[in-house]
Amino acid sequence: MKRKDFLIATGSGLAVVANTEHVFARALAQTPLPGLPGSSDRCLVLINLFGGNDGLNCVVPHGDARYYQLRPGLAIDRNDVLPIDAHTGFNSAMRTLKSLYDKGVVAVVQGVGYPNPDHSHFRSTEIWQTAAPDRYEHTGWLGRYFDDSSPNVPNLFRGVAISRVLPEVMISQRTDVPAVPALGQYTLAADREAASRDAFAQGSRDRRLPFSSPYLAHVMEVEGDAQRSSEELPRLVAGYTPKASYPATVIGRSLALAAQIIGSKLGTRAIYVEHGSFDTHVNQKVVQTRLLGQFSDAIGAFYQDLAAHGNDRRVLTLTFSEFGRRIEENGSRGTDHGEASPLFLIGGGVKGGLYGTLPDLAATNMGNVRYSVDFRSVYATVLERWLGRPSTAVLGGAFAKLPVLV
Amino acid sequence: MAAQTHTDVGGILRPQGHLDLATALAPYESALGERAAAHLLRRAGFGGTPDDVRRFAAMTAHEAVAQLMKFPSAQSIAPPQALADFEQGSYTGKARGREGRRTVVAMQEWWLDRMLSGPAPLQEKMTLYFHGHFTSRATPRFAWITYNQNAIFRRYALGNLRELTREVSKDPAMLLYLNGAQNVAAHPNENYARELMELFTLGVDAYGERDVRGSARAWTGWQVNRRAGTSAFDASLHDDGRKTFLGRTGNFTGDDIVNLIFEQPQCARFFAASLLNWFVYNDPEPELVERVAAQLRAHDFELSPVVATILRSNVFYSERAYRALVKSPVEFVIGTYKTLGLSSVDAGALPALIQMGQHLFYPPSVAGWPGGQNWITSGTMIARQNFLTQLLGSQTLENSSWLRGLPLSASAAANDVAQRILQGDAAPATLAQLNGYLAGAGTAALAALSTENYDQRIRGAANLAMASPAYQLN
Repeated sequence: MKRKDFLIATGSGLAVVANTEHVFARALAQTPLPGLPGSSDRCLVLINLFGGNDGLNCVVPHGDARYYQLRPGLAIDRNDVLPIDAHTGFNSAMRTLKSLYDKGVVAVVQGVGYPNPDHSHFRSTEIWQTAAPDRYEHTGWLGRYFDDSSPNVPNLFRGVAISRVLPEVMISQRTDVPAVPALGQYTLAADREAASRDAFAQGSRDRRLPFSSPYLAHVMEVEGDAQRSSEELPRLVAGYTPKASYPATVIGRSLALAAQIIGSKLGTRAIYVEHGSFDTHVNQKVVQTRLLGQFSDAIGAFYQDLAAHGNDRRVLTLTFSEFGRRIEENGSRGTDHGEASPLFLIGGGVKGGLYGTLPDLAATNMGNVRYSVDFRSVYATVLERWLGRPSTAVLGGAFAKLPVLV
Repeated sequence: MAAQTHTDVGGILRPQGHLDLATALAPYESALGERAAAHLLRRAGFGGTPDDVRRFAAMTAHEAVAQLMKFPSAQSIAPPQALADFEQGSYTGKARGREGRRTVVAMQEWWLDRMLSGPAPLQEKMTLYFHGHFTSRATPRFAWITYNQNAIFRRYALGNLRELTREVSKDPAMLLYLNGAQNVAAHPNENYARELMELFTLGVDAYGERDVRGSARAWTGWQVNRRAGTSAFDASLHDDGRKTFLGRTGNFTGDDIVNLIFEQPQCARFFAASLLNWFVYNDPEPELVERVAAQLRAHDFELSPVVATILRSNVFYSERAYRALVKSPVEFVIGTYKTLGLSSVDAGALPALIQMGQHLFYPPSVAGWPGGQNWITSGTMIARQNFLTQLLGSQTLENSSWLRGLPLSASAAANDVAQRILQGDAAPATLAQLNGYLAGAGTAALAALSTENYDQRIRGAANLAMASPAYQLN
């Protein structure tokens, strides 16, 4: 039985649906093996903390004297850290995330990176999104997951990017992912004679043109998808009412839309959200504190909303950032581009706790934190244990899974 | 692996077919005709009015490019009045931020108007190129700084790349954006040193981490006075020790770093690929890149002769280059005003550009706008279509002449619309759609084209033509 049929068959009232859903999802979330029906109801929310989030001031090694020596003007004061244990704690701006951590639904994986790290935003972002550190790859790891998991399934919303530019992580061979910066902007304006409505639909499919362009096929395809998805998306999500008060920030609005899409059950398997910029070469404390606070507060509202609709166990949130930053502060109350950094997995399916290795501030790679967990291990874990797909083909190799999911 | 250029971004596609390398850069000798004239006007500027297209159609490529390369002197270009007003206001605190942002908006509109109806579209096209290449973000509280960088780009539009690189490196906008102003001997800040090589002159893989650190030290000492909008070298903050950079050792300064970079064979290749990507087609063949790189070296990085060669070349007018680029939002928006015969942008332009993903003075990252396929997502296509619907339904259009002078016969009007907007690049189904729409076929609510519904209907037809796939391509 398809998930949708199940709901229709059992749910006579909203409360019943929500309740059934919750129990159903919980049972599925606890099923540890890939390929089981539960995985088809799950969604991954991938948050790009772009610009290079400084890991050491995010997940703070407050038990390490060297941290305070190397960052005399920038270290987070011991008294301000929200401690996890005697060595590690959260940045003081992340109270909400810390309270979720205390509830056991946040995994912190430290020391995530890849071999021969690149210090360019551009290339390193590409590496994280394509999962290909050693070659130039034009599809993203989630794009390849879409293609691999069900090629030619005509669902316009298997992936949704809440951004203006389609992120490389969702670029694929066969699956068009709508880039929806905000719902209000995702509607074709009407004109008096409805010419604009027809504009995309008709004529645009005829390829008998007196020129050939490498971009023609893409334009035609996206025009068609844009027309259909812009008609369908606002209608499909219209019945959803948020049950949390989201902060009035970009990340707040983005996660509110993510919850709405998830709650509307469109078959969406992955949603991309971005937040930043974390490129704190100067004045880091002010900028990063504000951004981490915005992130933490938005996540709090997001899971409150998801839980109120019984969706919290359906959703796994994963963060990434192109790199961490230099251990030693620079002369501008900031930090330069670095290497390994921590990431977060959040959700009802997460086995909360600290994973990976503590950052070693003595044995460094030219002043940068060395990586101990390959980022593709995190992706492999998410693909196999959350989305229920084999990861080897998607990632171009086999990577150890982490025990971060229940 | 060969050093990479920015074409490594996903979604940047090379046209199919074979490059005739032997004749690629040789002059294109045929008369232009409307199709090639419109192509040149789109690439070397932001498109043309139907009259412009007809005028250029009669020229040779040589004549046409000579016309396009006539630039006004830098002194003759007056900054937007809003900047002087902002200065006059001597705002502080919150008011300064608010008025500064307002001033940036005025500068955006001023620039868009120069692109649309200024005397030298190619100069503005190169200014836009440099804005996306040597990226910086606006500094609204110090709006002059943003303007001054834009003016440098305009001044060097077809100038010397090495000199431009030296000048833009020390200009306040860049010193602020990539933290050169915080780069001092005691605490080097590597941000600019890295991007200078990676994104501005060489590409990734053409240097190592030690070169970044050596260059950062060489650039120490440049300080910015935000209020005055000036920068100055402070020797006491400069590290004048020995640095190793790209295999050489010496007491290098920033100027030395630029000179050493431009001595690298890869530097000419990097700019050659970048210019070909901008003007001709994406992901150009390494052999073609090498030919253009040789020209850049031969002309000591003077752009004028090299850009002239490109715009007059066989490869530029080849079928492979035709409509082989995706229109950027600025090209789409300005090209649309231009095609419709409008001479200034209206209030719809800026919000539309933001929704289409090109907010002038606010590039999305230090790498600029990724371009190619990345311009076209369902979200940005909706923004493009909504811009057209808004503009074609607006009062602004009453100033457009040619839309009012088309024939009353549906099929003749359809052909005229397709020709003036698409230069014949309409698929049979698009033509049939236009025809049907103007003839009132298929929809009960629509009557045939007549004097009563003429204005409304012709606007709708223009909307249909501009929504066609060909119109998204440059």
